[in-house]
Amino acid sequence: MAFAGFSQFRAILALIAFALLSVSCTSSAAGRYYGKTEPPADNVLRYVSGSEPESLDPAIPTGQPEARLLMAIHDGLVEYHPKTMKPIPAIAESWEISPDVSEYIFHLRKNAVFSNGDPITANDFVYSFQRALAPEFLAKNAYLAYYIRYAEAFNSKKAFVRRADGNFVLRRELDAGGQTPEVSSEVFGPQTETGTALSSPERLTVPGDEKARTVLFEKDEKLGAITAGAEFVPVTGADMGVEAIDDYTLRIKLRQSAPFFIDLLSHQFFKVVHRGAIEKHGAQWVRPEHIVTSGAFKVKEHYPYDRIVLEKDPGYWDADAVRLSGIEFYPLEEATTMMNLYKAGSLYAVYNAVPPAAWIDTLKEYKDEYMDHPAVTLQYYTFNVTRAPMDNAKVRQAFALAIDREAIATYRKTTKPTIDFTPIGIFPEYEEVRDRIYTRELAKQGRTLEQWKARMFDPERARELLAEAGYPVVQSGSGWASPSFPIAEVEVLYNTSESNKAIAEFIQAQWRQNLGITVALKNMEWKTFLNVRKELDYRGVGRAGWVGDYMDPFTFLKLFYTKDNDSSTGWYDPNYDRLVNEANRELDPIKRFEILAEAEFFVMDQQPVMPFMTDSTNWMKKPFVKGMYPNPQTLHPWKFVYIEQDSAKWDQNAANIMVERDETVLSHVERLMQTQNTRSAMGSQQASVAETSAQ
Amino acid sequence: MLAFTLRRLLIIVPMALLVVSVTWGLIRMAPGSFYSEERTLPPAVEANIREKYGLDKPIYQQYFMMLANVVRGDFGTSLRYQDQTVNEIIFRHLPYSATIGLLAYLLALVIGLAAGVMAALRQNSAFDYGSMAGAMLGLSVPNFVLGPLLVIVFSLWLFWLPPARWGGISNLVLPVLTLAAIYTAYIARLTRAGMLEIMRSDYIRTARAKGLDEKTVLLKHAMRGGIVPVLSFTGPALASLLAGTVVVEKVFAIPGLGNIFIQSVLNRDEPLTLGIVAFLSILIMVFNLLVDISYGFLDPRIRYD
Repeated sequence: MAFAGFSQFRAILALIAFALLSVSCTSSAAGRYYGKTEPPADNVLRYVSGSEPESLDPAIPTGQPEARLLMAIHDGLVEYHPKTMKPIPAIAESWEISPDVSEYIFHLRKNAVFSNGDPITANDFVYSFQRALAPEFLAKNAYLAYYIRYAEAFNSKKAFVRRADGNFVLRRELDAGGQTPEVSSEVFGPQTETGTALSSPERLTVPGDEKARTVLFEKDEKLGAITAGAEFVPVTGADMGVEAIDDYTLRIKLRQSAPFFIDLLSHQFFKVVHRGAIEKHGAQWVRPEHIVTSGAFKVKEHYPYDRIVLEKDPGYWDADAVRLSGIEFYPLEEATTMMNLYKAGSLYAVYNAVPPAAWIDTLKEYKDEYMDHPAVTLQYYTFNVTRAPMDNAKVRQAFALAIDREAIATYRKTTKPTIDFTPIGIFPEYEEVRDRIYTRELAKQGRTLEQWKARMFDPERARELLAEAGYPVVQSGSGWASPSFPIAEVEVLYNTSESNKAIAEFIQAQWRQNLGITVALKNMEWKTFLNVRKELDYRGVGRAGWVGDYMDPFTFLKLFYTKDNDSSTGWYDPNYDRLVNEANRELDPIKRFEILAEAEFFVMDQQPVMPFMTDSTNWMKKPFVKGMYPNPQTLHPWKFVYIEQDSAKWDQNAANIMVERDETVLSHVERLMQTQNTRSAMGSQQASVAETSAQ
Repeated sequence: MLAFTLRRLLIIVPMALLVVSVTWGLIRMAPGSFYSEERTLPPAVEANIREKYGLDKPIYQQYFMMLANVVRGDFGTSLRYQDQTVNEIIFRHLPYSATIGLLAYLLALVIGLAAGVMAALRQNSAFDYGSMAGAMLGLSVPNFVLGPLLVIVFSLWLFWLPPARWGGISNLVLPVLTLAAIYTAYIARLTRAGMLEIMRSDYIRTARAKGLDEKTVLLKHAMRGGIVPVLSFTGPALASLLAGTVVVEKVFAIPGLGNIFIQSVLNRDEPLTLGIVAFLSILIMVFNLLVDISYGFLDPRIRYD
């Protein structure tokens, strides 16, 4: 009896739950907005920060949740443009770039102060960079700064090699094939002693640890011979390419030409920190009672796992333009809890990827609130080009053509189909140039851009290519078969996860349908997988994904650069490196994009990888929150965000939010851009990297 | 009695150390480490991290280093939150869990005892069937279903109560109700069973035969024996309630110990996980001891030798 009752109760309960859920969905869909939609009278933005931030120290955390929080309280040389994410002036009111793009001179504004009133000078930046890169600081983001001369050497405890005659061994004394070319040794900015030293030819660095050094020298006899009898001088923070020329002028010297370096500088890792507070309180300097900040907002309260309350800092140099009186970040983990709070009106926005997949169709109905825009990510499969049959470009192309990318996107809901390595919709200017260059390059082969774009899905051409490669595809019943294809040599390797598995099965089915080839699927635990893929121990195909670090196509294209590149394909071509080096020495953004596009065409034509989708943003905000955009990384410079009380001025139709002009935000951005635009206009060869961001 | 207490107290220390050691072993067997992330670290950075945290030392040395710290009661600094010590984190978040847990348990005790006693006294009445059916419902609905259900009704339909987070009294209502449901059900059923048994026992018949009025029989004689099963349930239940309940804290985003515990495991924050495990195991053992001691006061039939 009791058991019968028990199961009946369960059935009834399930019915009740189902009824409640369905009613809650349908009843809300009737309204224009999702749940309670009332702007707060206190002008405070209530937002979710994801999990409890690892630290409020900008040099420690690596996660996006922390990035969003830290950009409210710390300021840097440059700031993200709220829409394009290109750099706009922050503490640096303007900057100059050397002709070979290896040296940056920043001119700092004189009215920037820390939250305790201390002025922010170039020395504070030197301190901040040296602290963050010190090996004992253990910064996981340190690699972002490795473009700075000797930063990597300092961070990885390397040493210079000094000969008995007092001269240092130079890098060029060793054969540097397949490496980044040396940069100009002319000082670009003001001539100083440090500047001259920084620009002198690059020194060789070797491991500072004697054991590691001995191992290396035994392996590399030439290196051993050059360094014999020399003295090893540890690389210090002072050797790094960062110099305070005076209180308000900062020089950064890079190890290579890097026009995208300025884009990187908006990252939290490069924010300025207060030396006094850190030296006084050590690791505890980030506590609310000790912390000294430099951003538009300062920390008022921090209750771990509950809330971080920020208030506007009236001393901030741009405080007049900051409209929010504060921000409350709630460290929440559960997606449904966040969505409940959003619906109940206690949160005004959620961050990217919060809405669960099952809700998306419903949420997309709320057109004023749901953000469906491209994100700066790419999902692709790699081919192991060092082994047959994937050493044949035609086989790789055939595999890439034989999957229906539109169908994958429809199935995944929050993705968009893509065929090139630089994802669609994120770098509009680059895409324009790319179309032009692709047309030119394709004409040389007697093909057209339309034919190229048909690579989204072209099973017929795929079968032709496979036949040309020596594996004819024949009709077999209602489908296809490729009897001669060495099926044992190809499998899809992916790291264990439900969604990776679903995609792999989808692609497996596509290849079976369109090529008559059924490849095996193989999954591995993440760390093992990474190693196998990197060492090219996989057969045929491997899963991969990439998230851009900064808003420049090179954040993707660098994956094929230099001999030991990160593409995990075994693909390397000196011609590609030559094009990339040429592009990165180019100051004119359009000319640079042209060369990069040529490089991208070069690599994609050989198809060492098979891109198939880019993620789209998946988040919501209340319509009264303005100046908060679905930019590719969902990073919001908070000083542009404001709360609109007048419902007539609320955001409508989020699909247009990126093209609509919000004068309040844009006039603010334009005012900040002025100092840099004036500076760029002064130097005629000074192409302004930032100009491209003035939309 | 004293010897019994001392013996039990002495056993707590090695037991806690055993629990900590097993947990340590499990953490070390789990793939990944506190510094590993989706993006591979430059090898130099990884080497520096391993050196600083002694991960480059032989495994037995690492174990004894950990054990030495635990014996001193010093779990050190959290690996993830480097500005905070483990002890500080535990004692900062304990009150959140304890508040919710105590309130839920009090509520469960009041309703559960009352319903259980009433049901026992009126066995086979409509009230008995009704309350026991309700208890069965409370037992069979998991709190990850009940919590969201309450949220949908009271927060998203009626907009009466906040759906989550810590704050005022209104924030406490839903999590306390969710948490109390299952304990109310347990207590009601245990009380009913205990009371039914006691009411039929010889000493109750004796009490009645002495001519005591029904109120005295019930409150002074029957209740003391009848709630012994509830008491044995209370020890571990209260200990785990005080220390945080993962599901409810997750659903309602309460910054309690249960929430921190799960996060520490996901972050592979070894000192924090070990600290919480040690704290929990001691808490549970102490509560069990207290329960065992209190048996003697409630039920004169129980003796400690």
